[in-house]
Amino acid sequence: MTATWSLACPRCGEARLGEIDLSGRGRIVAYTVQNVPGDEFLNEAPYAYVIVELEEGGRITGWMPTVRREEDLAIGDRVRFSTSYKPGVQFVKDVPGVE
Amino acid sequence: MRETWVVAAASNRYGKMKESGREAATRVAWEAIERSGLAPKDIGYTFVSNAFGVAERQAHVGPLINTSLGIPDVPSCTIESACSSSSAGLHEAFVHVAGGFADAALVVGVEKLSHLDTLASTSYFAMGADYAFETKNGATFPGLYATLADAYQHAFRTQPEMFGSIAIKNHANAALNPHAQFRKPISLDTYLNSPIIASPLRLYDCCPFSDGAAAVVVAAKEFVRTPKTEPLVIRASARSGSIGDMHDRPDLLGLPATRTAAEKAFRQAKMEPKDIDFLEVHDCFTIAEALALEDLGFYPRGSAARESLEGSTALHGRLPVNPSGGLKAKGHPVSATGAGQVVEIFEQFNGLAGARAVPKADTALAHNVGATGSSCSVHIFSRR
Repeated sequence: MTATWSLACPRCGEARLGEIDLSGRGRIVAYTVQNVPGDEFLNEAPYAYVIVELEEGGRITGWMPTVRREEDLAIGDRVRFSTSYKPGVQFVKDVPGVE
Repeated sequence: MRETWVVAAASNRYGKMKESGREAATRVAWEAIERSGLAPKDIGYTFVSNAFGVAERQAHVGPLINTSLGIPDVPSCTIESACSSSSAGLHEAFVHVAGGFADAALVVGVEKLSHLDTLASTSYFAMGADYAFETKNGATFPGLYATLADAYQHAFRTQPEMFGSIAIKNHANAALNPHAQFRKPISLDTYLNSPIIASPLRLYDCCPFSDGAAAVVVAAKEFVRTPKTEPLVIRASARSGSIGDMHDRPDLLGLPATRTAAEKAFRQAKMEPKDIDFLEVHDCFTIAEALALEDLGFYPRGSAARESLEGSTALHGRLPVNPSGGLKAKGHPVSATGAGQVVEIFEQFNGLAGARAVPKADTALAHNVGATGSSCSVHIFSRR
C-alpha cells in the first residue's frame, strides 16, 4: 500500500496494483514544526510537516498551517485532509463532530 | 579482483571558498596526486562529484579539471548521489581499479553554495528529497530528519542532552582539525539555547552549509609497488539503497540502506564491527549519527545517543566516532563530504592528525548517506 506514485509496490515489488479511494483520515506517525521554511512556503512558517498513516493503510505526508508549536500536536493524533491553497497536501486536526 | 589502495587524499578547509568549485577541485586533486607519488598521467579515470554545480552555472566539470591537471585525454564523468556523491565516486574508482579497467583513478568532490542566500541553499539541499511527495508538501531537509528525531525520541524516551552530547563531541574534535569550518568548542548551554530549526532539532543539531573540496587517489597494489604514503587498503566498498520516500519505509527508527550496505561491507571485508578502530559517519544532523551507529551494528537500537552522552564515542572513548568533527562541525560541502571522510582516515593512518589522533588507527569505516538514506556507501579500510 503506497500513496506515492509508483509502478510497483516499493516494499515487495508487486506490479499488479489496484486503486482505492481514501477517506482522507489518518493518524500522525511523526511530525516536526519547521521554523525555517523552503522557498515555496516562504510566508507560512512556523508550520507542521507531518507523516500520516491513513485509515486504509499506507502513508502520506502533508503540512498543517494551524500547528505552530511542537506541543500543539502529538504522535497518534487524528487528522484529515483539508482543501489547500498550496499545491501540496494539507491536513487539519480531525476533531469528532466538527466538520 | 586486484588489491586496491587509497594512496593519497587531500582537502581544503571547509567553509567559504573565494575561488570557484572547479579551481578548488583541481587544486585538491593536484595536492592528492602529488602526495601519492604518482604522476597525473598515471590517472586512468577521473570521477567528479559536484551535485549543485549548476549553482555555479557549470556542469560537465570533469574535462575542465583534467585539462587543468595537464591530462585532457583522461576520461571523466560526474557521479551524483546527493550527499553521498563522492563516496559513490570512490566506489566507481574501486570498481575500475580492482576490476583492472584502470591502474589508478582520481576521485574528486566539490561544492560551492556560499554565494547563494540561506533560502536558495535550503532549496538546493531539499533537491535530494522527493519534490512531489515530500518537498511540495512542506518538508525542508532539516524537517525530514526532524521527523526521524521525533520518532526516535518518542520510541526511546531520549533527552535533548543526549543529542547535545553528539554536537558537543563533534565540535570538540573539529576544534583540532585545520580542515574544519567550525574550530570552536560549544557548551551544553549553547546547544540547549540555540533556536529550534525544525522541532526537535535545534540549530546545533544541524550541519552547516559549507563550501569545500576533497580528492582521493586510488591505485592497484601491483601498480604502485612501493607506496610513498601509508596506504589504506580498501577492504570493502559497498553501496545500497532504500525506498526513496522516508515515510513509505517500514519504520522510521533507522535507515535501511545503511543496514544493507553495512552487511555487504562487513561480508566483503570478512570483518565485524568489533574489528573497527574508529569511524567517520554521516552526521548531517545529530540524530543521523545515532542512527548510523545503530544501523551499522555498533550499538543496539535506541542506545547510541545514550552512549554518546557517556563519552563512548569521544576521541579517547571506546569507539572514536567522527574524529574529524563530522559533517556537523567539520562541515558538509555535499559532494565533497564522502571524499573528505577518506581524507580524515588517510591523515589518521599517516600520523597527520595531530592533536585529534585516535588511540588506534589500523582499521576504519566510512559511512556516507545520500539524502534521507535513499542512498548509502560504506567503505572499510585497513593497513597493509
